[in-house]
Amino acid sequence: MFASFRLSMTWMHTWLGLVLGYVLMICFFFGALSVFDREIDRWAIPETRFEPQTLPSFDTLLLPIFERMQPSKESLAQASARIGGKTPQHTSAAGFGAYTTHRDPVLSLFTEYHVTNNPNDPHDHVFGNTTIDPRTGRQLRDDQLKIGSQFFYPLHFSLHLEWLEIGYWLVGIAALVMLAALVSGVVIHRKIFRELFTFRPRKQAQRSALDLHNLTGVVGLPFHFFFALTGLIVFAGIYFPVAHTMLEPVHELHEQRELAAKGLAFEPAGVPAPLASVDAMVAEAKRRWAARGMSGEVGFLSVAHVGDANSYVSVYRAGTDRVTLTGQGIHFKGTTGEVMFEEPPPSTIEGITDFLTGLHLQHFRHWLLRWLYVMGGLAGCACIATGFIFFVEKRKRQHAKTGVSGARWVDAMATTAVTGMVIATVAMLVGNRLLPAELAGRGAWEERIFWFAWLAALLHATWRSAPVQQARISPAWREQCWMIAALCVAAPLLNWITTGDHLIKTLGEGYWPVAGMDLALLASAVIAVLAAGKLRLREMGVARPSATSTDAEAAHA
Amino acid sequence: MATTTATPASGTLQVISRVAASLLGSWLFVWGLTVLGISLGVWAGADYRQMESLMYLLAFPVFLVVFCWAYAAVSLKRVWLILAGGGTLMTAAAWLLIPSLAA
Repeated sequence: MFASFRLSMTWMHTWLGLVLGYVLMICFFFGALSVFDREIDRWAIPETRFEPQTLPSFDTLLLPIFERMQPSKESLAQASARIGGKTPQHTSAAGFGAYTTHRDPVLSLFTEYHVTNNPNDPHDHVFGNTTIDPRTGRQLRDDQLKIGSQFFYPLHFSLHLEWLEIGYWLVGIAALVMLAALVSGVVIHRKIFRELFTFRPRKQAQRSALDLHNLTGVVGLPFHFFFALTGLIVFAGIYFPVAHTMLEPVHELHEQRELAAKGLAFEPAGVPAPLASVDAMVAEAKRRWAARGMSGEVGFLSVAHVGDANSYVSVYRAGTDRVTLTGQGIHFKGTTGEVMFEEPPPSTIEGITDFLTGLHLQHFRHWLLRWLYVMGGLAGCACIATGFIFFVEKRKRQHAKTGVSGARWVDAMATTAVTGMVIATVAMLVGNRLLPAELAGRGAWEERIFWFAWLAALLHATWRSAPVQQARISPAWREQCWMIAALCVAAPLLNWITTGDHLIKTLGEGYWPVAGMDLALLASAVIAVLAAGKLRLREMGVARPSATSTDAEAAHA
Repeated sequence: MATTTATPASGTLQVISRVAASLLGSWLFVWGLTVLGISLGVWAGADYRQMESLMYLLAFPVFLVVFCWAYAAVSLKRVWLILAGGGTLMTAAAWLLIPSLAA
């Protein structure tokens, strides 16, 4: 099929890169935004614009809230579907959980309830969740969307296509193709070192796009390779679900033995018993972490078998001070508060896995490294986008001559995936500031704005792409850049009008989550205007590309 | 690029078969490797979770190698034979081993 190894790698790089490139754009762009997901949440939900908080008192503040909580409507609807449309009967809460990070002013609470009328699954559960202001215990409205952590973040690994986990699988294939594209890219280009220093922006679009593709690909290679690989490892249990299929009996046996070794009960005893002071357990956990020389704030706390003699409380440390996923979980007997089991340091293999996953999930406190992640992610986007442009530039003259429309379609899709994606993102933020504060189902409306804006960008790009058929540049790129610029100026202005938090105020107070978002939006507006200007010159043919003998070289790449 | 490589007559079918081999064949191969690796490890006395973590660390680099090989290899028949055949054999071996591990 292929004449040589290099040609086989070129074929794979070109075609799989093209098809999965659209998915990869989403992964890299929204992955980059996820680095600041909590900060985007602050911008989107103004009532949560205050400093990060530590875990409040469980006994006096959290416990009464947990006891009031109810299963969510979605969870009950899913359970109802599992039992043939009947209304699920459930117990009072059997489990509690609280999660926070060093960047969260708000605290997420979860509850778990046994479903008692599912004959097929005696262990069926429904869940409740809420978000509170930990200073007062006030519950936030649950139809507000945390745009950063509940929309952009899951978008980058699930595409919000939950059915059959198809989004995860598409992202998994895309991550694999990313790895293969890096390997094949190195095989194709060979002169890796020279690519690092080669960028000729004034040459033909084909030449400069390829230069930038190689430059970003080589500079970002370790970053891109690691993120694609660690992303796959994070979801290894989805791509190779061994523990719940073939190896289920071995896995179950192991789980039970492990819990037994820790002294933690797998099932409730069925004997009611009160819960001892959880605050005392948290104090003891902090004392033990301090004794090991680790700074200790609680990241995750859970209570299992609530109200039962077998109840136990697990307290995990928030991982702010190292790359690796921490935990150092300490488990307490719920009825007495005595320590039952303190988790030992991970083995070498688990240590490697925790480090790789921690590298991807970045729970640590290190702002420079966070920004490097954003830059790495955006370099990935630039690499993929220039790959699309190179694909089109290389073929459009040929396609124009022969009347093939392939280049035009790829170009329209590329516009949608690059500028269209940014339009959808910022349109969502603008929508977030324009929708009435009291609108019911506000979050769902914000999501609709995102998808409709993206669809509109696709229609616009398709409609305006006809010039590509004549081997010219589609004006859609430039027009969408102007759209981005307008939206990116509108968002901080609307933020100012609706909340009073203008840049002078937020910068003066040093409130970086909101100041940073506004500055990033304005910077994006500037970049979009500059890009639109450059594109206009190219469209008018003013910047006559200096065609030279190196064009032949470009054609070979 | 592509236009210079594939022969038009059997081209499309070849391409589909090779892409399928690279994804489905490789997946089956890595699946077999993972379940057999874990099973053999547990059989030899290793901890289940340790073996699962180890095989998950190895799974994707191996996937990447066989995925690229599926395009680089000259004989598509051999690609299918080794990936799908090897994957099936390893899965079957693990399947024979598993009942003795859960006892």
